[in-house]
Amino acid sequence: MKRIGFIVNPVAGMGGSVGLKGTDNSVAEARRRGAQPHAPDRAKITLGILKENTDLAFVTCSGAMGEDSAKEAGITGYRVLYHYTGESSSADTKNAVRTFLENGIDLVLFCGGDGTARDVLDVTGSEVPVLGIPAGVKMYSAVFAVDPASAADLVLACDRHQLRDAEVLDVDENAYRAGHLRTRLYGIARTPVLAGKMQVAKQVYEEHDEERAKAAIAQFIDEIMLSGTLYIIGAGTTTEAIARRLGIKKTLLGVDAVRDRRLVAADCDEKTLLALAGKSPDTRIILSPIGAQGFILGRGNQQISARLIRKVGINKIIAVATPHKLAQIPYLYVDSGDTALDREFGDTIQVISGYRIAQRKKIHQEWNGNCPGNR
Amino acid sequence: MKTKILLDEEQMPRKWYNVQADLPSPLDPPLHPATHKPVGPDDLKAIFPMELIKQEVTTDRYIDIPQEVQEVLHLWRPSPLYRAHRLEKFLKTPAKIYYKWEGVSPAGSHKTNTSIPQAYYNMKAGMERIATETGAGQWGSALAFATMLYDLKCTIYMVRSSYTQKPYRKSMMHVWGAECIPSPSTRTNSGKAVLEKDPDTPGALGIAISEAVEDAATHANTNYSLGSVLNHVCLHQTIIGQECREQLAMVDDYPDVVIGCVGGGSNFAGISFPFAGDKMTGKHKDIDIIGVEPASCPSLTKGSFTYDFGDVAGLTPLLMMYTLGHDFVPPAMHAGGLRYHGDSPIVSRLVHDGVMRAVAYHQSEVFDAAQTFARTEGIIVAPETAHAVRSAIDEALKCRKSGEDKTILFNCSGHGNFDMSAYDAYYAGQLVDYEYPDELIREAIGRIPKIQ
Repeated sequence: MKRIGFIVNPVAGMGGSVGLKGTDNSVAEARRRGAQPHAPDRAKITLGILKENTDLAFVTCSGAMGEDSAKEAGITGYRVLYHYTGESSSADTKNAVRTFLENGIDLVLFCGGDGTARDVLDVTGSEVPVLGIPAGVKMYSAVFAVDPASAADLVLACDRHQLRDAEVLDVDENAYRAGHLRTRLYGIARTPVLAGKMQVAKQVYEEHDEERAKAAIAQFIDEIMLSGTLYIIGAGTTTEAIARRLGIKKTLLGVDAVRDRRLVAADCDEKTLLALAGKSPDTRIILSPIGAQGFILGRGNQQISARLIRKVGINKIIAVATPHKLAQIPYLYVDSGDTALDREFGDTIQVISGYRIAQRKKIHQEWNGNCPGNR
Repeated sequence: MKTKILLDEEQMPRKWYNVQADLPSPLDPPLHPATHKPVGPDDLKAIFPMELIKQEVTTDRYIDIPQEVQEVLHLWRPSPLYRAHRLEKFLKTPAKIYYKWEGVSPAGSHKTNTSIPQAYYNMKAGMERIATETGAGQWGSALAFATMLYDLKCTIYMVRSSYTQKPYRKSMMHVWGAECIPSPSTRTNSGKAVLEKDPDTPGALGIAISEAVEDAATHANTNYSLGSVLNHVCLHQTIIGQECREQLAMVDDYPDVVIGCVGGGSNFAGISFPFAGDKMTGKHKDIDIIGVEPASCPSLTKGSFTYDFGDVAGLTPLLMMYTLGHDFVPPAMHAGGLRYHGDSPIVSRLVHDGVMRAVAYHQSEVFDAAQTFARTEGIIVAPETAHAVRSAIDEALKCRKSGEDKTILFNCSGHGNFDMSAYDAYYAGQLVDYEYPDELIREAIGRIPKIQ
């Protein structure tokens, strides 16, 4: 029996349809502009597919935060563990998830956007897997299924052996409304993986195992590191595995600088990185794509700026990612803030995906600032 | 204008061509894995019959194909040579494209050209059983067929992940009476050792080789058999190229370009060695001979020409060849038959000496070509074969640009009827373009490996 903690952020996505670019702290304004909640309906699609499955037990929240969708989808035998009144809030999401965890669950299934993902992650950490039914305005975080139906497939696939790391991103909504996209890597959740998709190849290797894949990437990077070269190492768990292999404690959510297996500077900002690179005759940048869409640059690691890349050289970037992550993103994206530089990346990029193994991955060049991740 | 160029049964070559006779200097000898001294026939006796050991080292130009082997080969040989009229038209190329169709053999590929004589010589030597390994099952099914004909038992160690996922190749082996065991197994010490460490391992070709070699070495009635790489295997495949030369002569043609895909090198050797001989002896100096390998396992284009082991565990003799290192595990691409870290020592030598050259392609461009071929000529080729198709198409397209009417010949080594999941993946957009990160490796540690 899989125990699912199911929660809906009923106001998620409401800001999008009325031009608010997000709903954080602006639900009232969204309602005033005529926005209707749509998250409960999207959640209903997922639950409708899951209702026949007798192996699932749901706990949820009252009303629009879960019970309404469950009831309408035809789910029976769910338990309401959390009650709220008035307009649901970020605190309600956190408190509800906390109650779920106290009762013991195997997965948090939430319906919302990046803001909801942050609230859920605040409580779960990497202890309990998390899966998002996409309903927000912005969905840069990698915890979201492609659509509500895929979320149902992933719920059924979810067990502890088939999980991957998923970055949760924090977008500064005030800056975003003013036209600036500022993202920061907020944390790392664990999310289910559909293992079957990788197994069409003639032989299946360790690819289904994320930890093994990360270790293999780290072993290779360790093997090719040059003495005296400065390595700027981006955020995320794949790059963290590299640092671990080198015996370095890395800033999981930030950018570190390493030389000759020693940490030179931790959690660097752009200025520090420019200064370090300015003094180093040879610098390499090790990056992993971040978030649901696969941005090599421009999401969650904006310390690694266009200026820094121009200084170091575009050919000095070493991209790394596990096969599973790459399988989920058809294209990689580059958004350095300097479109001429973005173009210099060309149409493809080599991404190290294992020990002495890389993949040639397409870069989506024509997205015209029409941000994937925004709805 | 003919489409199929056919030889009668009595026109099938009666001798194999040994390219070692025409090498300007002898091959570097295989070295003993422990002593690093050249191995002698006695070192190989434990696992190979003497006739094959002789063929491995001889420099005689021609070797008779035994009558009993010829009779079996007649089941499908001589194989047809096709003029690819429809493909040429589609490509709007002035080039003439010919392909040798080896998919007509019972097992569906060129592999039977060597499994038959190997089983025969083992039978003659009084062997009762042959042990071998197979990755995706091409070689295993070819050897199962051959051993059945000569009343030998056959034990095939099949990489476990393929065993579970490629049930039809396994079924073929069963139909032909062979025993097929998922590797690693508990039958051998090498298998047990791997299982103890990792009970859930999906297996690998290198492990399966170690199991089969151990099985043969520890049983007096059992020999080992290999489906590629070794000189005698390449020798048996030269029947392909010799037939091609005859067939092209029937239409007054001779190739300017000869192409084959390369994993261990045997099908490429088969089609190209007779022409390489013509080139080295000065009869046709300008012929361009191209081996096509996957970008994910590019031993000829990115490897080092050095002594290395043939297997992962380092049990086999050291061979002088192009290699990515015996510890290199190629990624799980669809052309499983090309996933080998090294190459035939003779092919390696000929590439090194400039008699042949090599090119590498990514998976998706290879399947683009396979689709074009299926939609023009009809044949759905194996993913391995599709590499040769890609290169043939590219050479033909070069001719369109230059206006040259070159004659292009490639080895269409096998059908893809059991590889439809690979085509499904192609259409689902799930093909991964693996590649070998050559530059990063080279600048950090130079070419690998160095066996001291």
